[in-house]
Amino acid sequence: MESNKYIRLGPIAKAVLKEIVIIILIIIWLVPIYAMIINGFKSNTAVVTSKALIPTLPLTFSAYQEAWTVLNGPLLNSLSLIVPVSILSTFLGALGAYYLNGLTRSFNSRYRVLGNIIFVLVALGTFIPYQATLMPLAILMASLNLLGSYGGLLLSYLTFYLPTGALLMSVFIAVVPSYLIEAAKLDGASDFSIFFKVVLPVSLPGFISTLIFIFIESWNNFFLPLVLVTNPSSELVSVGVRYFTGGFGTLYNASFAAAVIASFIPLIIFIFLGRYFIRGILALGSGGKA
Amino acid sequence: MANKSVLFVIPVLFFSGLLIYLILWNLYYSFTDWSVINPVPKFVGFETYLTTITSSTFIDSLLHSLEISVIMVIAGNIIGLLLAGLLFSIKSNSYRIAIMSIFVYPLTISMAANGLIFLWLFNPIIGINWILGLLHLPQPAWLAQDTIYSIILIMLWAYSGLSMLFYLASFMNIDKSIIEAAYIDGANYFRIFRKILIPNSMNGFIISTALLFLFSFRVFTLPYIITGGPINYYAETLLTYQYYLFDSSYFAQSSVVDTIVVAIALAVVVPYALLGMKRWVYGE
Repeated sequence: MESNKYIRLGPIAKAVLKEIVIIILIIIWLVPIYAMIINGFKSNTAVVTSKALIPTLPLTFSAYQEAWTVLNGPLLNSLSLIVPVSILSTFLGALGAYYLNGLTRSFNSRYRVLGNIIFVLVALGTFIPYQATLMPLAILMASLNLLGSYGGLLLSYLTFYLPTGALLMSVFIAVVPSYLIEAAKLDGASDFSIFFKVVLPVSLPGFISTLIFIFIESWNNFFLPLVLVTNPSSELVSVGVRYFTGGFGTLYNASFAAAVIASFIPLIIFIFLGRYFIRGILALGSGGKA
Repeated sequence: MANKSVLFVIPVLFFSGLLIYLILWNLYYSFTDWSVINPVPKFVGFETYLTTITSSTFIDSLLHSLEISVIMVIAGNIIGLLLAGLLFSIKSNSYRIAIMSIFVYPLTISMAANGLIFLWLFNPIIGINWILGLLHLPQPAWLAQDTIYSIILIMLWAYSGLSMLFYLASFMNIDKSIIEAAYIDGANYFRIFRKILIPNSMNGFIISTALLFLFSFRVFTLPYIITGGPINYYAETLLTYQYYLFDSSYFAQSSVVDTIVVAIALAVVVPYALLGMKRWVYGE
């Protein structure tokens, strides 16, 4: 006990110190979103003359009006593309993951090897720097007359997000107790009905996690629409914000409002369903534990 | 499994196959001279590789990409580990989750929006330098030659939460009785952190390292937004460079850079996938 004298001296002081560290870290992590919110309500002159970390009065909505005029169309375009992209990626990914799960649990070693190969492909699709494959994809889309069309965009997004859906759903389907699937098979249920009546309901929290993870990731994707959207009227919101920067410190007064408009949907989803998003991230690595 | 449920896997196979096709496409055209000057691609062997990788822009981009990835892996792991250690010491579950969410939320904001906000925060007069000045601290020129370090700072803010989650998950998997026994023996939290938590977080380290590398190696949006376009001497990365080459119709050269990027990523993804398969699919 003697050797611990200095540390044991002030348990209260230690607890206070820990809280101070936590508060400082929280403040640092919240500065950007704090700046985003307070500066969005500044008038066009206040935003360039006042300090970025100090709120000013009166609150004005002119920046929001300006940003909204540019971004309301892209916001709708994003919604009408990203909702189907995330649902399809998750659902079709889950179907593939169910089949892969069967392969990797098979007693036939050839099926297991096949399952492992497909799984590496899926991981490749999830983690590869997708930007490095976009030139061929854009040229392919152009040759199919799909470049810039809704269908072409949907196909392109699925190319990169369906593997993510399959990978994450593999994690969540792997923990579905196999006796449930075996019991349904003994009852003569088809794979189709096992998937819908056993696997999907049991892995529903995982399904929601995957859906939310893919929604937020694909919503924020900047490079795909930068290359693949050729028509200004089908611009997506993630790329629309670039009209509010000139780079290297060139400032546009509505850029905070633009950042808010681009990020409020993912942020609201995170505030209310954050634990699903976190489970989605964990599934990228550790198999859904914790 | 050889029945009609094979239909289930068709979409996954189709899109994975498409991706392989795109990678091979790049490989094929990287051996040609296709560009705006040579509209009909002709096979030239390694000539385009030679002209591309000896250009100073390529070397700068490669060095920047590696610098970003290496610093991100080292600093991201350290910050993630420390944050996880701090969170693990919090007894109240709801308090811990609330603070954890604050470290994770940057992952949900697009890098483009982050870039816009940080352009203002890095402003020398009205940004954070104003506070640093009040505190008589040095006021860096965030957006000058050292832009790349400013970009890394933004990425650390955005991605440290990722690393933290995997370390925290590792800590949570440690048998509680070991930690309790150490407390009873009179060990303090710092000692437990060093002697029990860190040695038992190998899984967290591997996942966090692989993901930090892959996420930072493919960074594109931040340099693009912060410097206002695809080409900039101080913050060029392999991915902004390949976009610039594609955008200005140097197709074969862009394919060369793409092929190199994919090769580097594959060297990380394939072992990681094979290793991860045990956890992902077999639940070990």
